[in-house]
Amino acid sequence: MKTYLAATALALCFATGAQAAGELNIYAWAESISPALIEKFSRENDVKVNVDSFTSNEDLLTKLQAGSSGYDIATPSQHFLRVMIDEGLIENFEASKLKAFENIEEKWRNQWWDEEQAYSIPLAYGTAGFVVNTAEYKGPTDSFRYFFEPDGELKGKIAMLSYPDEVIGAAQLYLGVPFCSEDQAEMKKVLDLLMAQKPSVAAYSSDNIASRLASGEVSAHFWWDGDSLKARKAGSPVSLAMTKEGLVGWMDSLVIPKGAPNRDNAVKFIEFLSTQENATDQMNFYAHSSPMKVIQEKVVYTRDEAPELYPEVPITFSRTCSATAQDLVTRVWTQLLQ
Amino acid sequence: MTDSALHAPAETEHAPRARFWHDLSFWGLLPSRLLMGFALILPIFIIAAVSLATRGAHGGFAWDLNLAGYRQILFNEGWTGELEFTPQYLLIIGRTFLLAGATTVICLLFAVPVAYFISRQPPGRKAALVYLVTLPFWVSMILRVYAWMIILGKDGTLPRLLETLGFPAGMSFMFNDGATLTAMVYTAMPLMVLPVFASIEKLDGTLIEASHDLYGDRWVTLRRVILPLTAPGLTAGAILVFVPSLGAVLEPTLMGGGKQMMMGSLIQLQFGGGRNWPFGAAIAMTLMALVMIFLIVTSLRAARREVAP
Repeated sequence: MKTYLAATALALCFATGAQAAGELNIYAWAESISPALIEKFSRENDVKVNVDSFTSNEDLLTKLQAGSSGYDIATPSQHFLRVMIDEGLIENFEASKLKAFENIEEKWRNQWWDEEQAYSIPLAYGTAGFVVNTAEYKGPTDSFRYFFEPDGELKGKIAMLSYPDEVIGAAQLYLGVPFCSEDQAEMKKVLDLLMAQKPSVAAYSSDNIASRLASGEVSAHFWWDGDSLKARKAGSPVSLAMTKEGLVGWMDSLVIPKGAPNRDNAVKFIEFLSTQENATDQMNFYAHSSPMKVIQEKVVYTRDEAPELYPEVPITFSRTCSATAQDLVTRVWTQLLQ
Repeated sequence: MTDSALHAPAETEHAPRARFWHDLSFWGLLPSRLLMGFALILPIFIIAAVSLATRGAHGGFAWDLNLAGYRQILFNEGWTGELEFTPQYLLIIGRTFLLAGATTVICLLFAVPVAYFISRQPPGRKAALVYLVTLPFWVSMILRVYAWMIILGKDGTLPRLLETLGFPAGMSFMFNDGATLTAMVYTAMPLMVLPVFASIEKLDGTLIEASHDLYGDRWVTLRRVILPLTAPGLTAGAILVFVPSLGAVLEPTLMGGGKQMMMGSLIQLQFGGGRNWPFGAAIAMTLMALVMIFLIVTSLRAARREVAP
């Protein structure tokens, strides 16, 4: 009997061992990492890869704060990455000593959110602004004025995101209020602007944006550059507004949550995604700019093909706000939707 | 006491067996007790504890006693920088109760005739109809809400149908309270139909006949005989619909366009973008307290009804 049991146990070990040498649990923005690359990584390293997705930085932060998420890779934006370092939520994996580091474009190394480049390797960057359905709206789009203070065509045909993060940033760009302002009077101006816009807003939602905009349910939607590009390439009549006040910038990076169960595989995966060849494939899939050195001849989304990714207007990256500033943002949002 | 004294000799004889049954009921029920304890009661205590903690700068919390979470429901720093009474959260709570109440009433109005109809069918068809009522449960809730978006949205089923009937093209019924309510009533309906059906099913037909024999017309029969006898089912249905409706997040966000917060979305905002966990927990505890009050009042009224003639 005992031998029988031991044999079974042994067989079980071999059975699971034969399945995959290890596991890798990824928590990334929805549809952000190329499935073909994940497949390739899984095959080359004999690792079983599980991918879960989130649709807001807040969701990711909350999940990591709640503890033992079980994820090995996450992809926060720059202002949240800073919070995660400060709160001790992610691992220092000495990213600057990896091959991946050599492959980061010089201008994107050692940014303020990770000065030592110890906790992260960048994955993609881009902008957020408003995108219009050009079949429904023919008016000008060179200023946030047409979005925040619409008259005529856009009235009742506007949609915002369901989170305050980048939306408030855009309103601040328009009003000339600095990001993360701790000045009550300035933030009251932001609230007044959004309150005046509200009657023209059909929905505050971050889900289902592509179909809402393409069907003409709304004519203008707050959105991201690469998503707008992808929708246009798929045949939707959409166009990202190049607003003279500028666009809100973001950069997502690969990080390893504290206590990741498969840390070695995570590092392997970061190295894998950061080679020139794979970074090029990843950019061609995600349709957002890559902060890595890529093989220029193989890039699909060039300046001519994808003007969305090469804006001429200034870009301001979202900052990590103090608790005071964050509270003002929440207060604006709560009063807006009370 | 006297009972056991009377049967004293027999007790010794039966003691092992009695203990066996007692043990069996204890150990047999243990899994469900553990499940209740760990999955229901413990989390509530954790939320209660978090609601009394001090918030961290970027979410999370520290174990320092702090009542700020509860204070914030009523008093907040105004735009002038002074602490003032802020009705915004009360507005959100009020709106949530209104919407959940409306959902319950509409569900009741639809469920009673449906349940009555089903209960008067021959047994085979009855079972099939009950099965049909539960059918939506087999589909994920988010899919059911998306289905309504496809029905009511621009170029959706309903606008297309109206267009062929001569109404103007390009109508959309999305992003308003009506759309929210439609989806909420739809998702909650089976929860109302089933308990109402169960009580109407048990209704003795001879009592209705008796009422008619005593010159009670249809209205009087409904009011004096059918409703009082089915009241337990109606109450159970109302509770089953009202309580989950209070926490609705999906329908207001997807169907209503998220233009006005509900308690569910407010709690979500505090744990997410607001990064104020203790406040989120305090709102959750308040919601729970209000639900408890609602349940106590309902059960007290039900108890009084049973006592009264």
